[in-house]
Amino acid sequence: MTLVQQFRTVTWLVRDTFRQSLAHGIFWVLAIVSVVCITLCASVTVNAPAALADPGENADFLPRNDPDARDRERAAKSGVTIVEGTMTLGFGAIELPVARDARRAVHFLQLLLACGVADTCGLLLALVWTAGFLPSFLDGRNIAVLLAKPASRWLLACGKFVGVLGFVLAHAVFFVGGTWLALGLKTGIWDAIYLWSVPLLLVHFAIFFSFSMLLAVSTRSTVICIFGSIVFWLVCWGMNFGRHAVLAESYPPAESRFSGRAVALLEAGYWTLPKPADLGIVLYDALEAADSFTQNGVFQIVKDHGDFHPWCSLAASLAFMFVLLAASSRQFATLDY
Amino acid sequence: MRDAVAHFVHVSKRYPAGLLRRPILALDNVTLRVPSGEIVGLVGPNRAGKSTLVKLLLTICRPTAGQITRLGRPWRDRGTLAGVGYIHESQSLPRHLTAWGLLEYYGAVSGLPGRTVRQRATKLLDRVGLADRDREPIARYSKGMVQRLALAQALLNEPELLVFDEPTEGMDLVARRMVFDALIEQRRQGRSALLVSHALADVEFLCDRVAVLREGRLVFFGPTPELTAGDGVSLERAVEPLYHREEELVGV
Repeated sequence: MTLVQQFRTVTWLVRDTFRQSLAHGIFWVLAIVSVVCITLCASVTVNAPAALADPGENADFLPRNDPDARDRERAAKSGVTIVEGTMTLGFGAIELPVARDARRAVHFLQLLLACGVADTCGLLLALVWTAGFLPSFLDGRNIAVLLAKPASRWLLACGKFVGVLGFVLAHAVFFVGGTWLALGLKTGIWDAIYLWSVPLLLVHFAIFFSFSMLLAVSTRSTVICIFGSIVFWLVCWGMNFGRHAVLAESYPPAESRFSGRAVALLEAGYWTLPKPADLGIVLYDALEAADSFTQNGVFQIVKDHGDFHPWCSLAASLAFMFVLLAASSRQFATLDY
Repeated sequence: MRDAVAHFVHVSKRYPAGLLRRPILALDNVTLRVPSGEIVGLVGPNRAGKSTLVKLLLTICRPTAGQITRLGRPWRDRGTLAGVGYIHESQSLPRHLTAWGLLEYYGAVSGLPGRTVRQRATKLLDRVGLADRDREPIARYSKGMVQRLALAQALLNEPELLVFDEPTEGMDLVARRMVFDALIEQRRQGRSALLVSHALADVEFLCDRVAVLREGRLVFFGPTPELTAGDGVSLERAVEPLYHREEELVGV
């Protein structure tokens, strides 16, 4: 097949995936989750100054509950602002005090949506809901005719993988873009950093969906794909966190209670497997979350000692994904139906 | 024109089966050729290896031993699959697609240009009687309609070789007639077909040659009249002894 024919094949596999998701209702389930979050963002109002200080300047402010904040006159003379704004949710149903200014309040909401809703719950649910796509596509009765077409098997497998990624990308764009737009329109605060969560969430999903793909071509079982990918995510998270926890306990190395062999074994496991916790740290840093949330102590210690290498971690996770994709394509290409 | 569109030379296939993955011999040293411009019928009892032979021809599985050529090229050359149309024995078409969408999709995977696919799809859907329901999801189709759509997708690339594996099983008379017409038209155009069927009357009516498989071995291959004309019996009567082992026939 020529390059153009291969491109058309992949395009149709992507379209087929979208139609499959529409027919199975998964498209609408994810869309409803996004619409709920977008509606929540559209219900937000913030009654507070946009920012307490100009970019690059440090703001002097006091929380309203601070004892020094009672003497307003003194605070005003000192050029200290007392934070008094509020944020309402649910079209005014819930009123919350703002910790600083409107920009920080909106940023806080965006962090909850990106790190809480999308990166953990959303990712695992997307893995579960899309786990059936490949086994159903690879079922012998469904795929026999496609296998008798000139398109190579690796193209069919990778095309379907791209299709599922396209499906997740569309929903990530809808979720992140929709909540960003809703918050922006309602509050006038357009924090573009939040948009970084789209590519990072997609990379995170792609890495773990590649394992689901290997299970799908090996077993053609939706149940195994669902449980296998969740268990694999948990194992990787455990290995990732375990490595950081052991390192955090091992500073200085001379006083470490872990043997050198155990640490080496953990290092090998850490660098071999995908690193979901590291991807979370990358997202945390990309969204500049440090101003709103305190990072897990273990992660902070490892970062402070220079043992966290975001680019190497990301590259190693992506390398693992490509190895799994190659193994899946190889397995599928040599499979007898 | 090439003299054979499909050629199997000493082909064997073993499958691992069961929990212990013990190899089972599905095809044993089969040598067979499908001549150009002819319809070859492939018959035999259940588990004779008919579908395995078809799958080997279409690269759905790989031979353990032997050589296979398809449209003059080795079986590994997937490019030649562009000249093959196939109906699977228990085909399940994607229920979420429409008939029109399915033909566009399969046309793209076959490497056909979009315009060609649309032109042919219009004619084919009309021919199989689905033109008025081509935008409905396949999930709403009856079994007969799905089978007619399967026929349309097999003819989409105007194949040099048609491979039909039990195409008329469970079909109504109209759909069956469509399959017959497709095969007759194929031969009229100087093209070929391989028809796997348990319906021996259909094979006798349509096929120029017949191949009989039993337990993975080819026990007869030749012109259909060679089996039937001698005694003036039907193909069903003529192949019956070939379906049984010699030792089973002793008591008959």
